[in-house]
Amino acid sequence: MSYKIEIQSLSAWFGSKQVLQDITMKIKENLVTAIIGPSGCGKTTLIRCLNRMHELTPRAKVTGRVLLDGEDIYSENVDPVTVRRRIGMVFQKPNPFPMMSIYDNTAAGLKLNGVADKHRLDGIVEKSLRAAHLWDEVKLELGKSGASLSGGQQQRLCIARALAIEPEVILMDEPTSALDPTAAAKIEQLIRILAENYTVVIVTHNMQQAARVSDFTAFLYLGKLVEYGLTKDIFENPKSELTEKYITGEFG
Amino acid sequence: MSRIIDTGLEELSVMLCRMGELTYETVSLSIKGCLNGTSVYSQVHEMSDALISMSDQAEDKTFELIARFQPVASDLRTIKSYMKIAYDFARYSRYALDISYINEQLGGLKECEEWITEYIEKMSEKVLNMVRTSIDALRSHSAQLAKTIAKTEEEVDKMYFEYLDKLIKKAPATSKCTISSVLVVRYLERIADHATYICESVIYLATGEKTTLR
Repeated sequence: MSYKIEIQSLSAWFGSKQVLQDITMKIKENLVTAIIGPSGCGKTTLIRCLNRMHELTPRAKVTGRVLLDGEDIYSENVDPVTVRRRIGMVFQKPNPFPMMSIYDNTAAGLKLNGVADKHRLDGIVEKSLRAAHLWDEVKLELGKSGASLSGGQQQRLCIARALAIEPEVILMDEPTSALDPTAAAKIEQLIRILAENYTVVIVTHNMQQAARVSDFTAFLYLGKLVEYGLTKDIFENPKSELTEKYITGEFG
Repeated sequence: MSRIIDTGLEELSVMLCRMGELTYETVSLSIKGCLNGTSVYSQVHEMSDALISMSDQAEDKTFELIARFQPVASDLRTIKSYMKIAYDFARYSRYALDISYINEQLGGLKECEEWITEYIEKMSEKVLNMVRTSIDALRSHSAQLAKTIAKTEEEVDKMYFEYLDKLIKKAPATSKCTISSVLVVRYLERIADHATYICESVIYLATGEKTTLR
């Protein structure tokens, strides 16, 4: 099994405040990797560094390397837009474009990338909605506003939107924290299915969710990578005392 | 979409069914070896070691499912039962190994009179049927089938004590036969106990009811 992403000595700052310190880890292809840790530990910053979104924040800085299939995404000759096309992102709060229909929400990224052919768009919209396990629920009302869907459906719509541009990696930043348990369970099941074709990196403050959905887990604390390994090992027999204390609820 | 825990439960279930079939073969082979006086010790030893290793793997898997998926209700009952059943299967194989060891070291039932071998053969048939029932009940999660074992368990228990009585009354010619036969019926009786425990676990996982079939 090969590595899709290799993070090498990655550090990140907001102004003078360092939020990530010398992170080195390899993310395997077509598996789910979870990043856990208490609030403010740098989880979200870490995944935002993986598709060059961190640098969009004013006064943000990154050092180190992030290799995607062996190529450093921070190289001067790499276009961040291309990186973001290959590494899609799903956010904490479902954020469909409220004025757009379900169809247009799904096709938004494609249209921005210049795809205009209606027949091709139809095919990709259906394929993406099917992959997000939303098609059967919306196929008869694709013209309806994306905002009219339930929270869980909206999040699956956002996943469909991310899938439509055919990324290789999907980053998820606490994708179920705004959802009820039933909708969250559906997203978790979907994450497992997505891992058959995509590399998934999920940030979650919910340790049980990390345990359920991921193959590998990384524990971050105060911007440092404390432990990284098979999810089974992290939750059954963590090597670091700090990880043990965090996952058993002694702090955090 | 199936639930995330289902994949793990299915893996565990397949693992246990494979263990079940191998234990049946192991117990069956050791009994045959003992009754026929043929040496099967090394073969049974290998099978028993494989079963112990499979039992460890099953235990690891149950731990993983508990740690990762926070099982509740029927999922939790299933995992708890599977963990116990994996241990019971491992015990079957150890008793099978003990039986083949007696055959190897003490000559088994070779020096015994016919009534003894016939008695043990009859008891073995009942015990093997119990092993089969336990495996089938597990495979189908059938509490109804599991409950049927109680009758044979009682019969095997009765046969065990009856044999000890008979042995005292009609002392066999050699002490080798006495020791071998007593140990073999004892191990058979223990295998029957574990078959019953498995059926109790099946009832628990299928219905949530804690039953004693002994």
